[in-house]
Amino acid sequence: MKLKFALSLSALFFAGTLFAAPQVGQKAPAFNLTDSKGQSHSLADFAGKTVVLEWTNHDCPFVVKHYSGNMQGLQKQFGTDDVVWLTVISSAPGKQGHVTSAKADELTSSRNAMPDAILFDETGVTGKAYDAKTTPHMYVIDQKGVLQYMGGIDSIPSAKVDDIAKATPYFSNALTAVLAGNPADPAVTKPYGCSIKY
Amino acid sequence: MTLFLRLFFSAVLLLLATGFVQAQTSGWVRASHLKAELVSDHQDLKPGQRFKLALHFIPDEHWHTYWQNPGDSGLATSIDWILPDGVTAGAIQWPAPMAIAVPPLVNYGFEGPTILVSELTVPATYKNSQLVIKAKVDWLVCKEVCIPAEASFELNLPVTQTAIEARDYKKLFEQASQKQARPVSLQGRYDVQNQKFSAVVQMPEDLKVSAFFVAAAELVDHAAPQEIEWVDGELLLRQQKNTYFSQAPARFELVLNTLAGPVLLQLQHEGVPLAPELSLADFSLLDWLGMLVLAAVGGLILNLMPCVFPVLSLKALSLVNSKNSAQNTKAEALWYSAGVIISFVLLAAVLLIFRAVGQAAGWGFQLQNPLIVGLLAYLLFVLGLSLSGVMQLGIGWMSSGQQFTQQQGHKGSFFTGVLAVVVASPCTAPFMGTALGYAATQPALAALAIFAALGFGMALPFLLLAWWPGFAAMLPKPGLWMEKLKQWLAYPLYLSAVWLLWVYGRQQGLDAMALALVGLVLLGVACWLWGQQQLQQAGQVSRLIALLFVAGSVALLWYPQSAAQNLTQTDHAEVWSEQRLKQLVQDGQPVLVNMTADWCITCLVNERVALNTDSSKAAMALYKLKYLKGDWTNKDPAISSYLRQFQRDGVPLYVLYWPGQPPEILPQILTPDSLRQALEQLSSKQPLITSQ
Repeated sequence: MKLKFALSLSALFFAGTLFAAPQVGQKAPAFNLTDSKGQSHSLADFAGKTVVLEWTNHDCPFVVKHYSGNMQGLQKQFGTDDVVWLTVISSAPGKQGHVTSAKADELTSSRNAMPDAILFDETGVTGKAYDAKTTPHMYVIDQKGVLQYMGGIDSIPSAKVDDIAKATPYFSNALTAVLAGNPADPAVTKPYGCSIKY
Repeated sequence: MTLFLRLFFSAVLLLLATGFVQAQTSGWVRASHLKAELVSDHQDLKPGQRFKLALHFIPDEHWHTYWQNPGDSGLATSIDWILPDGVTAGAIQWPAPMAIAVPPLVNYGFEGPTILVSELTVPATYKNSQLVIKAKVDWLVCKEVCIPAEASFELNLPVTQTAIEARDYKKLFEQASQKQARPVSLQGRYDVQNQKFSAVVQMPEDLKVSAFFVAAAELVDHAAPQEIEWVDGELLLRQQKNTYFSQAPARFELVLNTLAGPVLLQLQHEGVPLAPELSLADFSLLDWLGMLVLAAVGGLILNLMPCVFPVLSLKALSLVNSKNSAQNTKAEALWYSAGVIISFVLLAAVLLIFRAVGQAAGWGFQLQNPLIVGLLAYLLFVLGLSLSGVMQLGIGWMSSGQQFTQQQGHKGSFFTGVLAVVVASPCTAPFMGTALGYAATQPALAALAIFAALGFGMALPFLLLAWWPGFAAMLPKPGLWMEKLKQWLAYPLYLSAVWLLWVYGRQQGLDAMALALVGLVLLGVACWLWGQQQLQQAGQVSRLIALLFVAGSVALLWYPQSAAQNLTQTDHAEVWSEQRLKQLVQDGQPVLVNMTADWCITCLVNERVALNTDSSKAAMALYKLKYLKGDWTNKDPAISSYLRQFQRDGVPLYVLYWPGQPPEILPQILTPDSLRQALEQLSSKQPLITSQ
């Protein structure tokens, strides 16, 4: 019976198909997106720098939670020349979180945010390539273009600002480790928040 | 401030403002797109009781809240209880979830009115006359957009001497349990490899699973297609692994949507031993006491079963033989009882260990091992030779430990008890199926107590005999007839040995049985030599030769195990298989399933007197009944799991399938009329429509 079980399990595994999900330790999916200033950016442009991708939707309560100061603090803390912080909006036109360039810039200044660019991904191609599911959803890509971290911003999935201080800051820890040349630990965590409105 | 934030804060303010105290219900708390109340199933509580609280959500149309695994996004509802000292609350008993597609993502949650039940326990030592329950609840309600909320609920319930149910909310709690997945005792394992989540659930009968929900978060890619296949008594599940999967939990809940509604089971990780984790929460004291009584009665009846009879006759003879004082008789009876009870408990412990290591061991498993069967046949044969006077096993003779009897009668009685249990175990299954099935699902200590009760029941007649001298006085006085009786009693033992050899032959084949018979001849020679030696008619050499013969006869049992043989079609039955049964049931055929084993005497008797009779065959023909027979002589995992489906751990099991009716279990002891009566009753409920 054990043998039969083992056989059926291994049969299942060999049938496993290849799946093009992003993987830590592999090249991060390439992208070419236009920012709120009309400038286009591709991942290759940032070779030699550490890239942060932050998926956002300003109306999502989980994003609101972190834009109560936490996100701005991180952008400031890691706002050095070595780090490129890209905020990505994958909301489709007409869906929650979809904004015009002007609105995006207005949000940046009203919230005192300091990303290097706000990228629009209206087709959702880039979001799906990264298997981005929620807002917020964080990625760290090292100088060689290798994905080093993907997942949640911290350990407590809630919409309550109070929980930020109690949570383990997964993303911040990961970025700190990557900047020091170390692997992130954990490198994959549970993303939490609103679904991305593809 | 954004529109959203304004909404959010006003929602929170509203929630705080509307919380008010009232018995049985917290009253409705209105939040944006959802109103909620906390309700008790009791209006009055008493110390030491368990009761239920329901968090009742009514969201706006198309708005949903989330399951314990919310899927790709979202947030499971959480309850933070603030309870007086000693009062405890269990985890949320979730309704069965639904998949909510938010392309390209999928969430697991609930639309429409949703009832989240938690069970609370008031300690027996609770002194206060009031119980104030506070709950801080966090939820996320979403349609396309999501609105988190946090609300406080308060209930104030009187604690008195009598518990009173809250009649107004009875229906609500009934609805809640209807919406929950029904727990089933199916075993399942999973693993995550090569980008795939894969699980195998032992499922003897195809329940027609249309979807599954894993309670573990970040395990499967919720939006990926689910592959569901039922093959050969196993349900195979597959789904793409979640991109954010990091660690495989040891076990988690799995909900299966079946044709008959959602069912709930535990999936274990492949690396984790298959130990049914039983908590005291699953344990009901009343059920357990009832089962103890039932087990004791079952044990009592065991004394009348054919496979106990030889041992019973041994013991009866021994008591008759006894020239001991009443005091001593009591002691003997107690030792015998101890032997019986301890053996039952040991067997139960072995059964529990076997279960724990995940073997599909059923009751009677010691007779599924051919070596044990062969050795038991040898033992009974040697005991028979001793009865026939070929040699003497001490002066009293009772068991393999009998040489102690003369000096230490207690030990002799003890081992008689042990022997009684070993021989009796195949008979316990027919009588104790229910109790055994129950025991096997209980915490280890409770299960052991059940088996101890079984042993107590079996030993009871001897205890009565010892304590009721009047009863003993009714027994005939010792005399010459006893030697005759002793010699007569050899023949039941020989017959038992023949029966065991036949079982052995069925298990191992004709050649192996012939070798075992040669072994019996060798044993016969050895016993004869031993007897000669006892009569001082032979020297030490013959003792050595006798030992060699004994060793040779045991060696003959190491005949290579024959390949699994199929049940030959000896009567009008077809061989049972899960597919065949399924096919017949699907075709709308009435079916009788008979689960049997060669070592199960009750099974054979039932077949002889109730199934293979002309009247039963006529009834089968009249009702166009298909007869499927499964053979459990050697362990067959498919049959083991079929038995478990009916909470049984042993054979016989008779199940009658009538189209349009739930399967009906026939009694374990069949009378000549059992089948015909069951068929008449079922056909009167639902006449058979033949499509001709």
